[in-house]
This record gives sequence, C-alpha cells and structure tokens, in this order.
Amino acid sequence: MLRGVTAQLNPGEAATIVGPNGAGKSTLLNLAAGLLRPTHGLVTGRPARVGFVPERFPADQPFTARRYLTFMAKVQGLADPAPRIAELSDRLRLTPLLDTLLPELSKGSAQKVGLIQAMLIEPELLILDEPWEGLDARTRDEVPLIIAEILAAGRRVLVSDHFGQTAELPGIRVWELVNGELVDEGTDDEAKCVVELVVKADEVAKTVADLREGGHHVNRVRAADREDLESWHDMARSEGSS
Amino acid sequence: MIVSLARMRLFSFVRTGRAMAPFLGVLVMLGVIYGGGPAQPGEAYGFSAAILFPILAWQTKILLDVEPDVQRRLTVVAIGGLRSEIVAGILAALATGVVLVLLTLVVPWMIGGITGPREAGDPPLADGVIAGVWANLLLLPPALALGALASRAAVGTAARGVAVLAGGAVVGFAFGVRDSPVAWLAPPLIPTSRSTVDGLAVGSMLGYTAQALVWAVLVLVGYVMLRRRND
Repeated sequence: MLRGVTAQLNPGEAATIVGPNGAGKSTLLNLAAGLLRPTHGLVTGRPARVGFVPERFPADQPFTARRYLTFMAKVQGLADPAPRIAELSDRLRLTPLLDTLLPELSKGSAQKVGLIQAMLIEPELLILDEPWEGLDARTRDEVPLIIAEILAAGRRVLVSDHFGQTAELPGIRVWELVNGELVDEGTDDEAKCVVELVVKADEVAKTVADLREGGHHVNRVRAADREDLESWHDMARSEGSS
Repeated sequence: MIVSLARMRLFSFVRTGRAMAPFLGVLVMLGVIYGGGPAQPGEAYGFSAAILFPILAWQTKILLDVEPDVQRRLTVVAIGGLRSEIVAGILAALATGVVLVLLTLVVPWMIGGITGPREAGDPPLADGVIAGVWANLLLLPPALALGALASRAAVGTAARGVAVLAGGAVVGFAFGVRDSPVAWLAPPLIPTSRSTVDGLAVGSMLGYTAQALVWAVLVLVGYVMLRRRND
C-alpha cells in the first residue's frame, strides 16, 4: 500500500527505489509502467514506449529465445527485428543461446532475454525490477552502462533495488519507501565512478595525460587480463561487423 | 501489433499441446452426434452448435490461460496498454473458434453424416445448411465471452474459472428449455437448436442473433472490468 506518493522523473533522469521487501517497490514500478491504476491520484506523462524488466523472467514458454524476442519486437511494432536482436544479444553474450528453448535456459540467461525484450524498441522509460537477480558478473557490469546510455539519450530509467546497488550509480535519484510513503533523497552530487579502459600499450602515456588534463584522476595502469582482452576483441568484432 | 500478439498466443497455444484437448473434444462430439446415421443439416448443425458452445468457451479459457501471468504484464507494457492486449486475446480466440466451427460444419459431410430432405415438408437442404451455419456462428461470440470471463486473468484462480465456465454452460442449457420464463437471460443454445430444425425462420433468427450478441457484449464488459480491476 502506497500513500501520499508524489514523484517526478524528467527526461535524462534515473531513480532507484530502495526499501525493504514488502515496502511497495514493485507496486510503484507497476504504477509507473501502467500495469496498476492508483486508487487515488494520477500517473501522468508516461511515455509511449516503455520497457519493463521483471524480477524473474517467465521462462516457462514454448519459444526459443530468438522466436520469443522476434514476437515481442513485432508486438512493439518493430518491422525488422533481426538486426536489433543480434546487436543486443551480442552485447549481453546471449547469441550462442538464441536458438535454445526458453525453459532450457539458465536463470541468468533467461534474465538476459528479459532485459533484451525491454530494450528492443529503445524505450523512453526503462523500468527494471531488481535487474541484477541471477545475472552473471559480466552482465551485471553491463547494466549500469546500459542505464548510462539510456540517460545520455535523454530517456528515463526507474529501478527497484532492495540491495541498494543502483544507489551508487552517478546522478541517480534515490527514492526510499518508508511505511508506504516515498522519501526523495535526491542525488549524490559527490558520487564518483571508476571507468575501466583498454588501450594499446603504446598509447598508455598519451591516454593518461589526456585524462589528467580533462580533470580526471587516474588510479593505476595495469596489464590487460584475459577478460579485458575478450572485451577488446568483442568491441573490435562488433565494429568490424557494423 | 495486435495481430502479432494474437499470432504469438496462437503459437503458444499450439506448441504447448493445449490445442489438442478441445480439438479432440469436437471429434468425440461429432462421433456421438453422427454415429447413429445421417441427419438433415438444420437439425444436426443446430444440435452440434449447442454442444459446441461449452467446448468453444473452454478452448478460449485454455488459450487465454497459456501465457504466464508475468508474461501477460510484459505484453501489456509492450503493446502499450490493456485494451490492445485484450483485443489480441479475443482475436486469437476467435481464430481458434472459427477452426472448431469449420470442423463441426465440414467433417459431417466427409463422413456421410448429412442427408437431404426425407419426407414432404422437410426443409430444403440449402435452407438447413444456412440455418445450421448461422447457429454455429451465432453461438461463437457468447462462447468466446464466457471463456474470456472464466480466464485466470479475469477471475484469478482455477476454481473460480471452472465455476464460471460450468455455470455459464449450465445456465445456457437450463434457461433455454421450452417455455422457460428466463430464456432471455442466457445465450440461446436450445432455442437456436430448436429453430434450425424448421430450416430458415428469419424472424426468430434475428431475435436469437440479437440475444446472443447482447449476452456476449454484457459478458465481455464484465471481463474487461475484471481485467481492469486485476491488472
């Protein structure tokens, strides 16, 4: 039960709803998504294109991941969804599993399908209900980047997060639910983030100098590990194919 | 978008094997009706239309229940609102319903179940066929509406769904007995069945059509209201 909730999310803004289990986080997300109507009050200005990522993706359906995403894309009005599905699957490393039946996917892979279906049409408002549940470490790292890109494009993101991980994202508003009431704790202007880069060895000195000149603090320089190199090759491949 | 969602639902309905039960139900029904020998089309089609009514309603409930609840919410958001999601569900149910109706109309010809007039005064073959087709199409909207009202998205639990489905079918049969004072409260299953025996009776056909459509619209309004309350 929520009462006396007044909140606004402007273009380019993200908010994370924090609070204990049962505080009403999912209720607020459902109101924002248009899945629930308030008994009193109004939800206004909801964008036409909304993406919704559920806490648990419903994998008990007779589709392969590819067919499911194709259907969902067409339901959202995307005439030729194959390139978009390929792009997002590549990014979240779901491509090898696209022709696997949904019930045969692991929980984390099924959750990736849930993420992809919400981003097929580049939503003006992306709503994520506990987006980290079941995701592998690399995909968990990808979620903040996705959120940052959506915000950079002037769109909005609303996240529920009972672990409070999203509160660390730069510029994100924190909405805390206390006894059914929403407390807007604003943004943490002093929040800092760590950006990891992979650069060619002979460009390290120049990159560090450029970053320092831009007012950024460079922590350290280290040799790229296997995961870094995979990420580098993934990027090179996607740039080569586009 | 609505057609794409209807296609998604139909794919799911067939792939999960849930389409088999009503399909087999219709074949059993046809076996029972035509097992005793051929009949004139008005009489046979009128009777099969009444028996088909609960099967069509049941099929609609099964179709609308295939999708997990969370997926239904995703779909509502994806398609941009409850109205389009409801229309897509009804469209998919209509497509499956038309298949069963066609099966009911065509299979009897394939197994020699239909015969022409036998005695003087029997309605011509064409009149009987037209009346029988009308009876089957007439009962499709109220059957779809009853199945939708019995779906999990509307009533919430399997027990309530079965109660609504069985209650609707019983009302349809019980209220329609000859000289019933409350026949107007139910879809005209039995009156339609009686009417088709005599071939084309345009006056009563129009009356029953109006009754079936009004009943279907009222039940569908109830379905939409429950969906708006629950979703």
